[in-house]
Amino acid sequence: MKARATWRSTPGNVVIYALILICSAIFLFPMYLAIVNSLTAWYSPPTIVPTGFRWENFAYATTLIAFWRFMRNSVILCLISLATATFTSGLVGYAFARIQAPGRNVLFMIVLSTMMLPGIVTQIPTYILFYKIGFIDTYWPWILGGIGGNAFFIFLYRQFFSAIPKELEEAARIDGCSIFRTYWSIFVPLSFPVVATVAVMNFQNTWGDVITPFMYLRQDHYPLATALSMISYQANGSKQIISQVSIAAGIIFMIPVLVTFFLGQRYVVEGIVTTGVKG
Amino acid sequence: MTEKNRRIAAFYLMISPWFLIFLFLGLFPLLYGLYLSFTNYYGFNMQDLDTVGWHNYRLVFTDTDAMYALGRTLYYTAVTVPLSTAIALGLALLLNRHIPGGGVYRTIFYLPSLVPVISTILMWKIIFSSNGGVLNAILGLFGIEPINWFGYDYATTSLIIMSLWGAGGGILINLAGLKGIPRDLYEAASIDGAGVFQNFRRITLPLMTPIIFFNVLMGIIGSLQVYLQPILLNGSELLARPIQPNYMYVVHAFQQIFASQRFAYGMALLWVLFVVILALSIVVFITSKYWVYYETDQER
Repeated sequence: MKARATWRSTPGNVVIYALILICSAIFLFPMYLAIVNSLTAWYSPPTIVPTGFRWENFAYATTLIAFWRFMRNSVILCLISLATATFTSGLVGYAFARIQAPGRNVLFMIVLSTMMLPGIVTQIPTYILFYKIGFIDTYWPWILGGIGGNAFFIFLYRQFFSAIPKELEEAARIDGCSIFRTYWSIFVPLSFPVVATVAVMNFQNTWGDVITPFMYLRQDHYPLATALSMISYQANGSKQIISQVSIAAGIIFMIPVLVTFFLGQRYVVEGIVTTGVKG
Repeated sequence: MTEKNRRIAAFYLMISPWFLIFLFLGLFPLLYGLYLSFTNYYGFNMQDLDTVGWHNYRLVFTDTDAMYALGRTLYYTAVTVPLSTAIALGLALLLNRHIPGGGVYRTIFYLPSLVPVISTILMWKIIFSSNGGVLNAILGLFGIEPINWFGYDYATTSLIIMSLWGAGGGILINLAGLKGIPRDLYEAASIDGAGVFQNFRRITLPLMTPIIFFNVLMGIIGSLQVYLQPILLNGSELLARPIQPNYMYVVHAFQQIFASQRFAYGMALLWVLFVVILALSIVVFITSKYWVYYETDQER
């Protein structure tokens, strides 16, 4: 890993570098445009070059709608999901990785196949079920869904725990540790990278989820994702959408996702890579 | 023996949260939905449901809206999946050369796939806007007449372009796959006088097929379920109908269920999609034998 081949400016390499720069520009361009167009005057047409620096658009993004209330709702849903799914997925992944039991392989095949199942097929019947139980406009869908863990996270944890040497576990067993003690005192402290990966991905999923809250919650309890897709930014008495302020809100909305990714980048990249290759 | 039984008990105890919720929120809704698709459930008649046999399914195949939407969805998938797979592979190939600052570019390519859908859509609305939109301004520099990107002729193209912006999502897996190709293969090839393109065709591409296979399969499953992007790119309300060419299959199902309360029919629509996804996945799996290269010593 350490020995890096040196990069020489041969003609081939220069062409490749130029291609990389062009592609980077293309991929960054929409982000650049978003920033430029969030700072222009209200109702002005889209522009490529900056025509103004009205930072107050970002303030309007948080005051023209009940932005902070929606954000608080987003935070609540994310916390519920983080507290439940990160924890139980680890426990389940550990059991699949380290404990021999009859039926283990069949059950793990079921975990994998739920990853392929289109979510939409179960979403509507679940909605009907929750409606009948009286779970509409409560956090139960998130709590229960979280306790059940997530197939992909279980898979990540299993891959991670499978790679830990057997000797560690045997030493603990000789010392008379129970299975739960072994998990808690030996495996959990080692699992920071995978916990970080799962936490970041879990946050991204819940933060960006539009449709689940739309189905289960009433408007007052919408998180930002759903609110931004249902409510538009309009000035008093005007029907016209203020696109500058909408884009500003879109930028604010994506900042937490990008920040958490950068914080956990080292682990997330590793996590995706190991699952993709070994899976 | 007791030790063994204790371990078995611990296993089942530890997986029980997942297993119970899987039964309650996975398997049960799946079968319940299947059952509902054979009834006349429309939201208020839970007490006196009638089973109607295959009626809802016959309706799906005679519903011109549903068939049109299925066609559009298959078209969208057929264009998006190969293109995004190729883009993700191409970008990974570019970065697989110890480029100075490679990590930064990797992040730049990967970043768009992280941006939440809502933010993505808000961004691309400015680009496609016909009222002084950015894309038209750029095309204007090359003497191309302004295009109505939200209009009938180009709405799906817009949707595809926006989806391709997130194609870098596959780059991490691709890079890992490329790193896994043994260097000596290329060295042996270069001794035999192989060029860059021969290397790619004879070494890189065959050895990358398992990862390409994974990307294609996941891409198909995701693309067939597209609904948020087509709805919000044109409208600004979740129950709004997108412009006709972007009227995708799941959009139609959502319209039936949430706007018209046709729950039973909606479930039949979704089960048809489920079967289509399953069938396509099986086709990809079976044909993978012919185009996916697996090392012979798989049991490592």
